[in-house]
Amino acid sequence: MKCLIKSMLIISIALSGCTKLDTPVYSNIENSNFWSTPDQVAAGIAPAYTQLQGLCIWDYQEMQGVTTDEIIIPTRGNDWYDNGGHQRMYLHTWTANDDMVNGVWSTIFGGIGKCNFILDVVNNLSEKPADVDNINAQLKVLRAYYYLLAIDTYGNVPIVDSYQIDPSSVKNNTRQEVFDFIESELKENVPLLSSTVDLSTYGRATKWMGFAVLAKLYLNAQVYTGTAKWAECAAACDSIILSGKYSLEPGYFDNFKPQNDASKENIFVVPFDNKYIGGNDKERQTLHYNQNPTFGLLAGSMYNGWCTHGDFYYGNYDTASTYSNNGGKIYRSFKDQRTGQFLVGQQYSDLYPYPPDKNVLSHSTTNLLYDDMPLAYQPSFTLISDPSNAGRLVGARQIKYYPEAGANGSQSNDVVLFRLADIILMRAEATMRGAAVGATGTADELVNKVRLRAYNGDASYSWTGANITPANLLAERARELAWEGWRRQDLIRFDVADGTNYFAGARGGTRSPAKPADGGTYTRLFPIPGPQHSSNPNLVQNPGYPAF
Amino acid sequence: MMIALRYTAMLCLTVCALFSFAQAQTVTGTVMDNKGANLPGISVVIKGTSTGTVTAEDGTFTLNNVKAGAKLVFSGAGFASQEVSATPGTAMNIVLETTVANLNEVVVIGYGTARKKDLTGAVANVNSKDFNQGPVNNPVQQIAGKVSGVVITQPSGDPNQNISIRLRGQTSLTGNQAPLIVVDGVQLPDPNQISSISPADIVSYDVLKDASATAVYGARGANGVILIATKRGSAGRTQVDYTGMVGFDKNARKYDLLNAEEFVAAGGTTDNFAGGATLRNGNTDWVDAITRTAPTTSHNIGISGGAGGFNYHGSLSYLNNQGIVINSGKEMYGLNLNAQQKALNNKLTINLGVNANRANRKWTDFSVFYYALQMAPIAPVHDSTGNYYAFRNDFDIYNPVPRQEMQLNRSIDQTNLWNGSIDYEIVDGLKLGAAGSMSYFNRQSDFYQPALPGYGNINNGNKYVENNDSKRGELHAYYVKTFNDKHNVNATAVYEYNYFTTNNGRAAGENYLYDPNENNNLGGGNPARNSVSSFKDAYKLISFMGRVMYNYDTRYYLTASLRRDGSSKFGTNHQWGYFPSVAVAWRLTQEEFLKNTGWLNELKISAGWGRTGNSDAISPYQTLLLLGGSGTFYNPATPSFNYRTAYSPSQNANSDLKWETRQGMNFQVDFSIFNRITGNINVFNDKTKDLLYNYTVPTPPFFVSNIWANVGDLTNKGVEVQLNADIIKGKDVSWNLGGQISFVKTRVESLHGTYNGYDLNTDHIAAGYAQGRGLSNNPITYLQVGYSPYVFYLPHYVGLDSEGKQLFDDGKDGTVGKGDLNDDMKKYIDPAPKFTYGINNLVTYKKWALNFFLRGVSGNKYFNNTRMLIDNVQNLKNGNTTKTGLESGDKDDKVASDRWLVNASFIRLDNATLSYTVGKISDHFDNLRFFITGNNLFVITKYTGLDPEIQVTGTNNAYIDMYNADNAYYKSRSFSVGVNLSIK
Repeated sequence: MKCLIKSMLIISIALSGCTKLDTPVYSNIENSNFWSTPDQVAAGIAPAYTQLQGLCIWDYQEMQGVTTDEIIIPTRGNDWYDNGGHQRMYLHTWTANDDMVNGVWSTIFGGIGKCNFILDVVNNLSEKPADVDNINAQLKVLRAYYYLLAIDTYGNVPIVDSYQIDPSSVKNNTRQEVFDFIESELKENVPLLSSTVDLSTYGRATKWMGFAVLAKLYLNAQVYTGTAKWAECAAACDSIILSGKYSLEPGYFDNFKPQNDASKENIFVVPFDNKYIGGNDKERQTLHYNQNPTFGLLAGSMYNGWCTHGDFYYGNYDTASTYSNNGGKIYRSFKDQRTGQFLVGQQYSDLYPYPPDKNVLSHSTTNLLYDDMPLAYQPSFTLISDPSNAGRLVGARQIKYYPEAGANGSQSNDVVLFRLADIILMRAEATMRGAAVGATGTADELVNKVRLRAYNGDASYSWTGANITPANLLAERARELAWEGWRRQDLIRFDVADGTNYFAGARGGTRSPAKPADGGTYTRLFPIPGPQHSSNPNLVQNPGYPAF
Repeated sequence: MMIALRYTAMLCLTVCALFSFAQAQTVTGTVMDNKGANLPGISVVIKGTSTGTVTAEDGTFTLNNVKAGAKLVFSGAGFASQEVSATPGTAMNIVLETTVANLNEVVVIGYGTARKKDLTGAVANVNSKDFNQGPVNNPVQQIAGKVSGVVITQPSGDPNQNISIRLRGQTSLTGNQAPLIVVDGVQLPDPNQISSISPADIVSYDVLKDASATAVYGARGANGVILIATKRGSAGRTQVDYTGMVGFDKNARKYDLLNAEEFVAAGGTTDNFAGGATLRNGNTDWVDAITRTAPTTSHNIGISGGAGGFNYHGSLSYLNNQGIVINSGKEMYGLNLNAQQKALNNKLTINLGVNANRANRKWTDFSVFYYALQMAPIAPVHDSTGNYYAFRNDFDIYNPVPRQEMQLNRSIDQTNLWNGSIDYEIVDGLKLGAAGSMSYFNRQSDFYQPALPGYGNINNGNKYVENNDSKRGELHAYYVKTFNDKHNVNATAVYEYNYFTTNNGRAAGENYLYDPNENNNLGGGNPARNSVSSFKDAYKLISFMGRVMYNYDTRYYLTASLRRDGSSKFGTNHQWGYFPSVAVAWRLTQEEFLKNTGWLNELKISAGWGRTGNSDAISPYQTLLLLGGSGTFYNPATPSFNYRTAYSPSQNANSDLKWETRQGMNFQVDFSIFNRITGNINVFNDKTKDLLYNYTVPTPPFFVSNIWANVGDLTNKGVEVQLNADIIKGKDVSWNLGGQISFVKTRVESLHGTYNGYDLNTDHIAAGYAQGRGLSNNPITYLQVGYSPYVFYLPHYVGLDSEGKQLFDDGKDGTVGKGDLNDDMKKYIDPAPKFTYGINNLVTYKKWALNFFLRGVSGNKYFNNTRMLIDNVQNLKNGNTTKTGLESGDKDDKVASDRWLVNASFIRLDNATLSYTVGKISDHFDNLRFFITGNNLFVITKYTGLDPEIQVTGTNNAYIDMYNADNAYYKSRSFSVGVNLSIK
């Protein structure tokens, strides 16, 4: 007791007069104390890249895919109703207050803000990192990529290129101004980027990634500004194709498999890892929860949601196959590798082959069941909301990112943002639309590189110059790039260039499930999100949407 | 150090006596009531002096230095004062008659005490005799419904669930709105730690309600303050008290789920996706399968005594509440010790107290409640081999029994509260002292999930350790003096230093070969899957406080206080704040014109104003630009370690961040009439300014879309009435009726302001979301200016069409289906209760006593998310539905509408206790009492959920009845029998 009294007295005396309030920070780091070693600098820059993890899965992808004929998320029972959000994407009846519309804006501009913040910090360090020029160029090119997403999705967005800025000065810029900003940032900074393509630049902004951003910007210039830039697009594509740094992988699926680091075709990826970088849930989005045996997945961990309608699948894909028989089971191999990215019809408990285009089981007695009915995916359907059990099985499922066995979501497959096949098809399109033929060859020569790979080197499927039509090229892009986040942009670009009406869904009648034609072309841009306006009243709504 | 003060006040009286009567003798005696029960806590004062003592727990007293012929005045709470001539040498036996006036009762007011009649603020006091009886998981339940303006909610029967306490409505928009809880002077860093105190050790609760009373707690006072005193010893024969009870809890109510027969008749079926055969031979009530009738036990044994300036009280307690859900429950061991030593002619007083507690908790996995709702009644719990039926349906319905039964899911909590104080009276009336306290809370959690049948999971386990500690030092000076017999001054000055730390660590792994090791060999699994984490933070609070209480002739009162608080949580621009208060009172019954009316015993009016702060919403360091881990990046160029943590600012720094300021006026009338009826009426008007909220900021230029800032106003206005009447006061029969009713209206006045000169405008903030499959992105409650917080914003449900599809009001006298709903068709619906009330009855007949307590809430509305999910015929495909759902014919998708927003007004028989007091049996066998208690005996309500009392305001889930959180654990009904025994 004495001891306690004593210690209390000592404490009391020691504390008397103490009015100092500073308290140490234990588990976080004050920004001013960071950035002093190369490893710390690398970790401080990384968030500008890790922000992409939130854009290559889920909502941004839904806005690019479900708004088109490529992906649909029907309501299955009550599953995937989600306040009607997915249906509104499909029907083009989204509003400025849709969570998805606001969430994607926040993620894109969160990335821009992070680039601005890191630029501000790095350039005000008393001792700048040795590679500060390269860091600056990476961040500015990455910021330009985020702005490419913004100009494409929201159009008239504010240009903010500094961290220290008065928030009340933030106003909409015109799409032309945003275009000019992206273009000048890229022109200035792409030359400063590394041209090395190896592990040291994996998942980083390289000169080639920069050219890919520039090529996409020019490819869609007519949509963004009204002035086409096909020649500039062709030049940017040529820089990549002629660099010799990339080549098409003979196996289409090797670009997307769980361990796809070694792909020679991928130009820019977002790395994921089953153990360390979670979030790649592409298999979860689409597979039925009873399908786990097929890919050795954990039970019940799939979400049975996203799928592709038969109109898109049968309308674009070549289902021609060769068949073989083994032990009473019939296997098929698709002539076009790319057709293997969809699961259609009866599913089986046998382990699925890799690559998924060859020796796929097509008849067996090992049927998977769902509620006593065959677990068979029916690509063609007419209802966007079907409460019957059959409604839970509609739509073709997507396994481009081949599911990783033993995983429960969080696949290790790195997600591809830019790859050579896309660049080649872009160059072909630029040529078709007027750019001069260059060292990379004619449009049909370019497209045939992609088709030869798809058909396992079989030249009998190659195109002639006569095949180079907008409709054919759009279908080729659908086959090659399905579920890679380009469909909305492609449809709008073709509509603008050719006067078609693919995006609004009125081509040759209606889309199935029924989707009324849009009330105008305003849906080619998403609205400026309502919550953004309430926190920044300067923002003005995009044309066609109810004004704020 | 409230308790220290109580004793120092006593010491002061004793010291005065020493000076006045040098030649005197010792008087002893016993005080009892008119039924022969011994009365503790009765004040015994020598008339014309301030010298005195209070009776011990057995009613005895010893008063030294009493002059021959002196008169003693006996007074105490609820008893008429009596004057008796002292009889030194002969034990005095005093019988006190009960009255309703208890004005001399000492009330703890924070940094001191006051007599009830001298109070100027709104302070409510509840003593042990008025506590709710029966098994209580959390001691605060002892005063649930007893104090006007205080809403205490135990939202479920989960013995491990934290209780929710709100004083005078919702005070803030962010998390913590629980009052500051002070136990024997230890300010608990986390109010939930109160669950570690043994209920039987507590003697009184004093609740500081208005800002003039709580301002002495400055930046911690805005949510009100509850001061708790545990038992003390008193000089005299050693006494042993035992209280024990045994009983059982059972599930109070179930949803009207279909049984096997009804399920089959309705066309329900079930399929097993887990790989094995589908069994349809069961007849299972899945709620019964995961619940049980749970035994409860509690024991408390206390020992007290003292001699020669030393006294002590110690107790040991044991509590075992097995939960009504299988494999859940709480077992608690407690030790409470208080000791006091006086020395140096009673000028020096030393107090020490220790409260040590260990709780073993078995947690409930809340997913089993969802499974129990969804499992088909024709599925059995066990398969034909006696093993758990390995079952899965869809991706989220499993056999719940193995999940709750096979998982290791427990915590051991250790709480230690230490306090001590030393005071010395250096000159007459002036005491200087120091006090200190420390609190240690340690939690060790163990979790192990084996591979569960049908779940297809990988076994996994973890260990978690958390420490939440505080240290406090205080220097104080008290000055109590009466000038010219009329001017009474009581002044206090305090310096206080508080340091709070929390830290935790966690290790987890998966894929083990041998389940019986549970989580005791975490390193033995898949090394690539091991994960560890740890965290620590700390903050300081430094305060200076001064208070003067003055009264003239106990007629006119003035209290004023000023506190200056500095906290390391606040931004550099606002580290220090001032919290003043002032209050006045007038006891009209001291005036000549009202003194001798005969019927009016007491009438006092008072008015107070004060300013307090709430800093709980801010966590430490929020004002700084801090970098924290934000995911992992792939860095293949680093050969040794390819996956590093990315560091990014996790928040927008705000160096202007400060406490919320709550400013309040309170008017009070206290009265006592006909010696039978007492009561008080309070009217208050509080405003919280500088509301803390994680406000939305525009991206760009910000890259984190929220910022913690002080923006917005909120008001609480209300009326509270508390009444107590002795309707019958006979020798054999008595009936006491007490009650309280509280009205409070809370309104968000503004959500607009500036940060760094920039407009922050975030009206219409989505707060609570509907939950369930296919119900993502479904906000249903909002923070909206002009309404109470968490107001509902929902479409109006009209009915079903001929195909079982839902129809909603389109706002233009028509109806629409769910696909055409838009925001224009939604309406705001205020879910807040209009008033809350409690009614207590105590009827005695000779040695029998019946106490029953009714508690109610009126006008509140809850969103029954559970029924929205299960009241649907479609459910029969994959799970079960209710009879209500079957009859409704609803075949639509689930849409959040006012169809599920239900009036949840209720009145509950919270507690009924019948007791028989044997009384004194022999010289040593001092008292014996038996009782039988029932809790939650009935509820009258139209509410469609399991229980109309759910998590109250303050979280985003406010007013939403969730099937998988907060209220998912079923409410229990309890019965118990017990005994009180005193031996000395």
